Amino acid sequence: MSNISITDLRKSYGQVEVIHGVSLDIEPGEFVVFVGPSGCGKSTLLRMIAGLEDITDGDLEIGGTLMNDVEPAQRGIAMVFQSYALYPHMTVADNMSFGLRMAHAPKDEIDRKVKDAARILQLEPLLDRKPAALSGGQRQRVAIGRAIVRDPDVFLFDEPLSNLDAELRVEMRVQIAKLHRTLSNTMIYVTHDQTEAMTLADRIVVLRAGHIEQVGTPIELYEDPDNAFVAGFIGSPRMNFLNARANGPKSVEVAGRTIPLPNLTADLRDGTALQLGIRPEHLDATDGVRLMMDVDVAEDLGATTFVHGTVGGETLVAERRAHVGNAVRELEICFAPDKVRLFDPDGARVR
Amino acid sequence: MSEFTVGKRQRRLLWGISVPMALIALTCVYPVFFALNNALKSNREYILDRFGIVSEPTFQNFVQAWTRSNLSEYFFNSVVVTVLSVLALIIVSSLAGFALAVLRFPLRKLIFVVILASLMIPVQVVLVPFYKTIIGLGLLNTRAGLILSYTAFFLPFSVYLMTSFYSGLPRELVEAARIDGAKLTQVWWHVMLPMGMPALITLGILNTLYCWNDILISLLVLQDNRTLMVGIAALRGEYTTNVPLLTAGIVLAAAPIVILYLVFQRKIVSGIAVGAVKG
Ligand SMILES: Nc1ncnc2c1ncn2[C@@H]1O[C@H](COP(=O)(O)OP(=O)(O)OP(=O)(O)O)[C@@H](O)[C@H]1O
Ligand SMILES: [Mg+2]
Repeated sequence: MSNISITDLRKSYGQVEVIHGVSLDIEPGEFVVFVGPSGCGKSTLLRMIAGLEDITDGDLEIGGTLMNDVEPAQRGIAMVFQSYALYPHMTVADNMSFGLRMAHAPKDEIDRKVKDAARILQLEPLLDRKPAALSGGQRQRVAIGRAIVRDPDVFLFDEPLSNLDAELRVEMRVQIAKLHRTLSNTMIYVTHDQTEAMTLADRIVVLRAGHIEQVGTPIELYEDPDNAFVAGFIGSPRMNFLNARANGPKSVEVAGRTIPLPNLTADLRDGTALQLGIRPEHLDATDGVRLMMDVDVAEDLGATTFVHGTVGGETLVAERRAHVGNAVRELEICFAPDKVRLFDPDGARVR
Repeated sequence: MSEFTVGKRQRRLLWGISVPMALIALTCVYPVFFALNNALKSNREYILDRFGIVSEPTFQNFVQAWTRSNLSEYFFNSVVVTVLSVLALIIVSSLAGFALAVLRFPLRKLIFVVILASLMIPVQVVLVPFYKTIIGLGLLNTRAGLILSYTAFFLPFSVYLMTSFYSGLPRELVEAARIDGAKLTQVWWHVMLPMGMPALITLGILNTLYCWNDILISLLVLQDNRTLMVGIAALRGEYTTNVPLLTAGIVLAAAPIVILYLVFQRKIVSGIAVGAVKG
């Protein structure tokens, strides 16, 4: 177990800076997930921690040691790649033991560690196979096994499940969660699947365009987002945003309806333009503000239905834990004012 | 219904192409037949009937070519020179390809461009400076000189091929090996060399052919001693040629290449498992 401390980390490719001063402290044994849209710098950040990309500026400490210029193998890390990166000409056992063999570990130690990892990941019957003779899920387990065998302080995962089909992804997600509980190593996990982020993370780091937008536990990010970007990124389907206008210090007007917001600490100025955020799952309240929604489509998933439509010309998704049917043209939505999150037009949270 | 007619038409087209192709293929087989057939004839039988099928097969020509015409010695030269040149080519091109495709160092692009450029210069153009260099290095009439020459002349293509091949491999393989603590030489030996096998086998076959069949470079570098192809060319007399003897020499020279090809073809088919990245 090791803590990781990142201070004002920057990365430039030539003249272009892609990571703009990221600072982050990761506790020993913590499971941290980096999320963000494509191209925001998640992989780059992870690869800088791994030592596969040079650090342009800033400090990286792992276990209290400055690691900026340390070889990847000396950082006490192991990495699992999206493409698995298994050596195709080696058997599963040889793939897993490669690192130990390079370090000239004694043979019985290699055997024991490979066996242990194979047991944890249920790979025992596959040890003599080549990667080509494995399914995608099995290959990913071997890649994880190769990381376990190295006995690292820190596990790094770069979108390890994105090549798997949906069902397998859920299964592997559970396996990784179990693995973290068994090994209790520090883990950093990159994904753009917010379900993976919510279910696996102790803390989530939301990145956008090379900046950290917010760091917090999944529930913190869900309940108390710092800005509209985080609010929209965490939660599925994403939060609805409606144009609103302040019409009192603690109330806003949306689609001609006044919504009292007594929990606000700030006082609103009359006439200020705002964005009102409300999650689809909170539009099914029995008590609160009622609005009529014009229904476009109802997506019935069996247990739950996502109703897409418009309110006052703005699109909206509402969740119903019941069958809605396709004939419905109008739906009454109702939400409690304390579920509303307010943002200014730039996306910053108004608390 | 329409699919069926298309299939029929395609099959007819296939046949229409196959027949002339087979005929062309046959024309390639004829020289092989000619060589084998005549190598088994005595000179007398050959003069009496050039194109007929051999009636009294004799191995006399092979024995004579092998012993009296010094082909055994030339054969040995060719084997040594070819094997060592091909080994050098494979090792150097795999190392260079690894460096050019994977490592980042100054002037990498320029070096690659220079290699590409030298690919376009034919041997004939540089014969004079090449010859002077060989003399200057004191390598005239040495096998080492010939090995070095072959390696130099065939290296640009080999390096180019290996660089392209390695560029197509996922970077993560090398990165995973680095995280696993492999030194650069270990990455090359444990990852790049085995992964490069399909390309290296192709290069091995091509370069073996080039080295084995070369006359021009060999003629310049080895002037006292000879390689097999030069020796066979010398079997042709100025005024008369003992055709059965010549064809026997040709058969002897071709045999190792044919055997090599058959052996390695099976190796290629049995295949290098490719499954590093989800396929
Ligand atoms: N070698 C490179 N040269 C120049 N720019 C690069 C290089 N590698 C990455 N970038 C840029 O850095 C930014 C971050 O890339 P990165 O791969 O970290 O994104 P990501 O968050 O992992 O995205 P994804 O979810 O698609 O994997 C991108 O804008 C990308 O274009
Ligand atoms: Mg990425």
